[in-house]
Amino acid sequence: MFIKLIDVKKDYLSGKVVTPALRGVNLEIKRGEFVAIVGSSGSGKSTLMHIIGLLDKPTAGKYLLSNKDVSSLSDDQLAYLRNEKIGFVFQSFNLLPKISVLDNVLLPTLYSKETNHSKAKKEAISLLEKVGLKEKITVKPNEISGGEQQRVAIVRALINNPDLVLADEPTGNLDSKSSKVIMEIFSKIHQEGKTIIIVTHEDNIAKYAQRIVTMKDGKII
Amino acid sequence: MLKTFLLNLKLFLLYSSSHKLRTFLTTLGLIIGIGSLVLIVSLGNSAQKSIAVQMQKLGTNLITILPGGSEEGKPASQLFSSQEITTLKYEDAQALKDTPGIVALTAYVRGTVVLNYLNKTKNVLFSGVEPEYLLVENTQIEKGRFFNEDENESMAKVVVLGWQIAKDLFQRSDPLGKKIKINNQNFKIIGVMKKRGKIMFFDYDKEIFLPLKTAQKIILGIDHINFIRAKAVNEKLIPLISTYFKKTLRYRHRITEAKKDDFTIKDSQQMLDIFYKTTNTLKLFLAIIASVSLLVGGIGIANVMYVIVDERIREIGLRKAVGAKNSDILYQFLLESIILTLIGGVIGIFLGILAEFLISVIANRFGLLWPFIISWPSIFISLFVSFLIGLFFGFLPARKASQFSPAQAMRYE
Ligand SMILES: Nc1ncnc2c1ncn2[C@@H]1O[C@H](COP(=O)(O)OP(=O)(O)OP(=O)(O)O)[C@@H](O)[C@H]1O
Ligand SMILES: [Mg+2]
Repeated sequence: MFIKLIDVKKDYLSGKVVTPALRGVNLEIKRGEFVAIVGSSGSGKSTLMHIIGLLDKPTAGKYLLSNKDVSSLSDDQLAYLRNEKIGFVFQSFNLLPKISVLDNVLLPTLYSKETNHSKAKKEAISLLEKVGLKEKITVKPNEISGGEQQRVAIVRALINNPDLVLADEPTGNLDSKSSKVIMEIFSKIHQEGKTIIIVTHEDNIAKYAQRIVTMKDGKII
Repeated sequence: MLKTFLLNLKLFLLYSSSHKLRTFLTTLGLIIGIGSLVLIVSLGNSAQKSIAVQMQKLGTNLITILPGGSEEGKPASQLFSSQEITTLKYEDAQALKDTPGIVALTAYVRGTVVLNYLNKTKNVLFSGVEPEYLLVENTQIEKGRFFNEDENESMAKVVVLGWQIAKDLFQRSDPLGKKIKINNQNFKIIGVMKKRGKIMFFDYDKEIFLPLKTAQKIILGIDHINFIRAKAVNEKLIPLISTYFKKTLRYRHRITEAKKDDFTIKDSQQMLDIFYKTTNTLKLFLAIIASVSLLVGGIGIANVMYVIVDERIREIGLRKAVGAKNSDILYQFLLESIILTLIGGVIGIFLGILAEFLISVIANRFGLLWPFIISWPSIFISLFVSFLIGLFFGFLPARKASQFSPAQAMRYE
């Protein structure tokens, strides 16, 4: 099993208030699957994604990634996995505003151990061409549309050729036309063999996935 | 690695250039601190250099006897005393005149008088000296002659004018033989000194020279003298001459213990050494004051770094999400803080040098010999200090930045 969550719990602590965001999640995802996570606001979708994406640690339970318990990994090892094995796409794109589209895409390669920079640059340009941004390589993120920004973010997630791509409401800030473009890109990536997990509110986005997981009150139903 | 460094550098410059004013204001403390550090050290060097050069101008191989005792290696107590010490007498000077190994020796009294010629009145400094003065201080007469021993002994009312005084009072006409009023008494001008310029804080061209006894008895009405100065034939003889002076004066003053000496003997080198010692202490003291402003500057840097970190928590989260290690973030913000302080340091150094240059230009305008010296050690030290401040005061904010969990940072608004 590629991803295996066993009774994963997550409590947020703000001051003295404890918010249980995940109340015992069990989930298995095979390599190469395309999964959509749906559920109402506050049901714990983002929290789950953060744990799967190694951005956060569970309060209790076990998370096995490629059969390895991630709780035994050091911060640096987690950073390495985020860098090499996982690509993350966010609802609000999260591009750095001051640097070009190309430099944004290359950001993960700054933190890779052995990156050949001219090779990475070529790869970035070819990926940007594939998502139809050939003309926008040198512009700043604020000079392109939301849909285009999200395509840049997807290319950034793909630049280190990860096995797993996570997207938290990738179309949440986009109109339906841009959303369609983005989802077609995800389909294509999936066809190329990557494991994809997306969070969404919308049914017509969820239908791109092979499997739909529904969350409610911090649990999968 | 280099690529990462360069991109971070680029990002930082882009980032801070959009906050120019804030960045500038927060580095201001550092700029001022570094600037004043450079200025103080350079000014100190220039002042020391300038005075050392002037001391040489005053003559080499000089031995000065001051009234009042002193501790070993310290300036004469006369310098710190508000009351005039009267232990040196004219007769002491006469007793030392046939010391072997000296070229010449003269006693001095100094003070100010009111000079009056036609309708012009001036307050001027005077030196009451003996005829040997010319030999001791290695200076010359331009016109006329200096007074002689008879005129000194007979307290003749004769005067030799400094070059500038003669020029101011007489323009192109000949001052020789003219009568001039000094403290309302008629004096005859017998000579004009050659132009000599300012030495230390004395402008010899604006002084007048009177026979010692005339000055002592008629002008000042005192019984003592201010100091004695002798010129040695050569440097090697100075210790021998000093010993001889000491013995003679102790005998004359009936002193049996060195501790009870009521006079102090200093040669030019010793005076220079004392001068360097005291001014170095002063320099150090001022540098410490400047360092306090550096501390304040450093706190400003820490402050702005905390603000920068806070503003960029999402960026930090993103970088971590795409694989930045804690140490990558730590280095990034340390780098930013160091660049910030280095830029501040360079600006400070530049301003310090500029200020020093202006001061030297102005000082030279006013006729002071004031060399413009760029002190490279102080520049390198300032850069290093800036670097250290960046490292030190950037550390806590950078560490804070590095410790966010990525999810926590990504959610931050
Ligand atoms: N940092 C936090 N501190 C405290 N509580 C939090 C924090 N992050 C999330 N929560 C709470 O945890 C619960 C789950 O949040 P989460 O963001 O995972 O929900 P979600 O399903 O992604 O919602 P949405 O669809 O609105 O994005 C919510 O009740 C939320 O208020
Ligand atoms: Mg969410």
